[in-house]
Amino acid sequence: MFKYIIKRILIFIPTLLIISIMVFVLNMYAPGDPVYNMAGIDPQSSKPLTPEAYASIKKDLGLDKPAFYFTLSSKAYPDTLYRIPKKEHQNLLSRLVGTYGNWDEVRAYHKSVENIEAAVNSIPKDSLNPKALIKIKERVRGLYAEYEDEKIQKDFEVADRYITSTPSTSVLTPLMADMKSKYAAMVNNPTTWKLKVPKFNWYGTNNQYHTWFIKFIQFDFGKSYQSKRPISEEIGERIFWTMLISVISLIIVYLLSIPLGVFSARKKDTRADSIVTTILFILYSLPSFWIATLLIVFMCNPEYLEWFPPYGVGDVEGKGFFEGFKIRAYHLILPLFCWSYGSLAFLSRQMRGGMLSVLRQDYVRTARAKGIDERKVVWKHAIRNSLLPIITIFGSVFPAMISGSIVIEIIFSLPGMGQYLYQAIVFKNFPVVSTIVMMLGLLTMIGYLIVDILYAVVDPRIRFD
Amino acid sequence: MFGRKKKSNENQELSQSYWAYVSRQFKKNKRALYSLYLIGFLAIIALLADFIANEKPIICKYEGKVIMPVFRGYAVDLGLAKWPEAFKTGDWKSKEYDFAIWPPVPYLPNNLDYNARWSGPFDKQEVKNTWWRHWLGTDDLGRDVLSGMIHGTRIAFMVGIIAMGIACIIGIFLGACAGYFGDTGLELTRGGMIINFIALLLAFFYGFYSRSYAISDAFNVSFGAAMWKILLGVLIFLGVMILANIIAIPFRKIPFFNKKVAFPVDIAITRVIEVIRSIPLLVIILAIVAIAKPSILLVMAVIGMFSWTGIARFIRAELLRVRQLEYIEAANALGFSQMRAMFKHAIPNSLSPVFIAVAFGIASAILTESFLSFLGLGVPAETITWGKMLAISRTNPSAWWFAIFPGFAIFITVTLFNLIGEGLTDALDPRLKQ
Repeated sequence: MFKYIIKRILIFIPTLLIISIMVFVLNMYAPGDPVYNMAGIDPQSSKPLTPEAYASIKKDLGLDKPAFYFTLSSKAYPDTLYRIPKKEHQNLLSRLVGTYGNWDEVRAYHKSVENIEAAVNSIPKDSLNPKALIKIKERVRGLYAEYEDEKIQKDFEVADRYITSTPSTSVLTPLMADMKSKYAAMVNNPTTWKLKVPKFNWYGTNNQYHTWFIKFIQFDFGKSYQSKRPISEEIGERIFWTMLISVISLIIVYLLSIPLGVFSARKKDTRADSIVTTILFILYSLPSFWIATLLIVFMCNPEYLEWFPPYGVGDVEGKGFFEGFKIRAYHLILPLFCWSYGSLAFLSRQMRGGMLSVLRQDYVRTARAKGIDERKVVWKHAIRNSLLPIITIFGSVFPAMISGSIVIEIIFSLPGMGQYLYQAIVFKNFPVVSTIVMMLGLLTMIGYLIVDILYAVVDPRIRFD
Repeated sequence: MFGRKKKSNENQELSQSYWAYVSRQFKKNKRALYSLYLIGFLAIIALLADFIANEKPIICKYEGKVIMPVFRGYAVDLGLAKWPEAFKTGDWKSKEYDFAIWPPVPYLPNNLDYNARWSGPFDKQEVKNTWWRHWLGTDDLGRDVLSGMIHGTRIAFMVGIIAMGIACIIGIFLGACAGYFGDTGLELTRGGMIINFIALLLAFFYGFYSRSYAISDAFNVSFGAAMWKILLGVLIFLGVMILANIIAIPFRKIPFFNKKVAFPVDIAITRVIEVIRSIPLLVIILAIVAIAKPSILLVMAVIGMFSWTGIARFIRAELLRVRQLEYIEAANALGFSQMRAMFKHAIPNSLSPVFIAVAFGIASAILTESFLSFLGLGVPAETITWGKMLAISRTNPSAWWFAIFPGFAIFITVTLFNLIGEGLTDALDPRLKQ
């Protein structure tokens, strides 16, 4: 038994690592620059972050480190690309190196663009035609996103035109020439062979993934882009509702499905059984988001029936316990129904199947032959073995309930984790998305782990396999 | 008459092939059989959606010339033909035809009809005549619901079939390897193993890593171009692997490298299955969809990539049994290669349980996709799907037709596939049926 549990936990760890790597990679490819997202500033805005502010936010987010323990790249790439401050610049450099393969020339060109940008920014505004200055700035900044030769040449040309036509920008002329020569040097001396030579880099544990994962285990999930509050705090407020509804509906489901399954197995081939089976099958196939929508449209709508409130959990501020309970119950009836009926149908069907196969077994026949009361045969002798499949099914019911929570919470606007995830997705709040995905994944895995261990406890054949 | 019947009975007994038996068993289950017929009907709707609901006439005579605009449309899309000048501009419906046969539903899902906003199925509608009625109502811009339902069928079927196609390819291959080779069946030389490991990294480098910009650029051009680049990557990958194995040949002369080691295929693949099984599909899809650009193909691919485990487990269990049978032994004894024995003999005889997994898999893929589009995630704005239409009822609860029809379509399709899955389970596994 002990050995089995150890073995099972040993599978748990790589699974956790794989999920965490998946989430991390997804997060890395999230659009936009996390630093700007965190600061809540549009990078194209007129007042971008100062380099110092940028660096400090970046450090807070832990982005000033290499991404992973190692990289597999080519000889053309330097192993310190992650030290370039801005994400946009990193992308540009990586792109240009990917085209020309000559890091030194690429870096020189990038520096010349940075020089010219600094020079443009330092020209006082009132001394010249403001339109020309804005145009030049626009073109120079545009160079950070351009890697196609044609577009870069066009930027050069336009910037040149404005510089020559505006006398007060003459400071820029030598810088411009310098940038052009650096660009020409980069384009004309490509070392593309370097791109074909693989290179393996080892960075060690001081990397983004490692720090993120260690922090995650310690429940430090970082901050939300939107509210700037720690995510763990926000989750703490919401997890209550998800857990509450899951637990209540799990209890309802197990309390109802076992008698229902037993009933329908005992009445096999009667009309009652076929009615129950059909209803259960239909319930099982009804998509819960459809039923929830129907219920909201037809039962929470003054045009048809207004029996239930359509969203939220109600306001119990200043109400007594019973009054508050009534309000909560009133709000939660529909969500609980939508949350449970699918699992209820599924479990009852499984229970029926399990009971049927047990009732056919010899020991049940023996018990009946001995003249034991049928009720006792079913509820005392048969029930134990027929519960076995129900336990395993907990493993698939539990994740289904977690996914179900997303559906129901969004439709009924319950302030739980599912709705939090949905809002985070809509508002591109990636730290929250990745945290919740990790947490839900973890919960699912723990569910499976518990089930496997429970099953081994109940059925000795598993652990001696 | 009597003789004839007897003869057909004899025939049945003679043709005791496995599939004939399965199909007979399946036909006994009336529910499943009718579900299959209904799915066939829905599939026809999906296939012919352009002819059932379209803004163009099926056939028309315009300025003395007879043309078939729907067919012409296909040809134009393929670059085989061009529209005549008269049809390049303007609305199809406002033209004066000599005669025209319109599709039963003369609207595309995206056609706007400002005269009929939010009109319900039973409301009075301002349309030319009954043919032009919006039978299932319209939305805020007057878009026809029935047409959306018909074209939504196509999307739903595509999602189910493509997602499960991807799942089948991965699942059958991995499950078969795990079941057929087991933990001892695949023997590699030590040198081969080392070289293959290094080659795997190199193949990834040359096939995908060094071409990653080319691939991501191709995605901006078109999906097809990107697939072409990816295929090229796969070919380079395979090329490197084959080259590495050729280079490995001389190493066999060194005794240390030539020692055979069993590669535990089964353990490796079952572990992978367990890992994938622990990942909550919906949550991961939501995360991916949050980050990527909306694309229905992406949704299909992601569903496929995370739902192959059921198929793989079925195939694995079946092959564990099949590989012990005499005919595989015979194939091996005749000197056929292991791959040939596996792909030509073992797999075709173990495919039957896969059908069960595929039927249930299609149902859940359709459900997942409708849920995503219900949330407005993952599907581009211009694509009309059942889930998206259902979501409209949330913005306007008085438009009851949006709450009922699309949801019913999802329900029916999912239920039919589930019923087929159950019928197949009964037919293929007689032990369960008692």
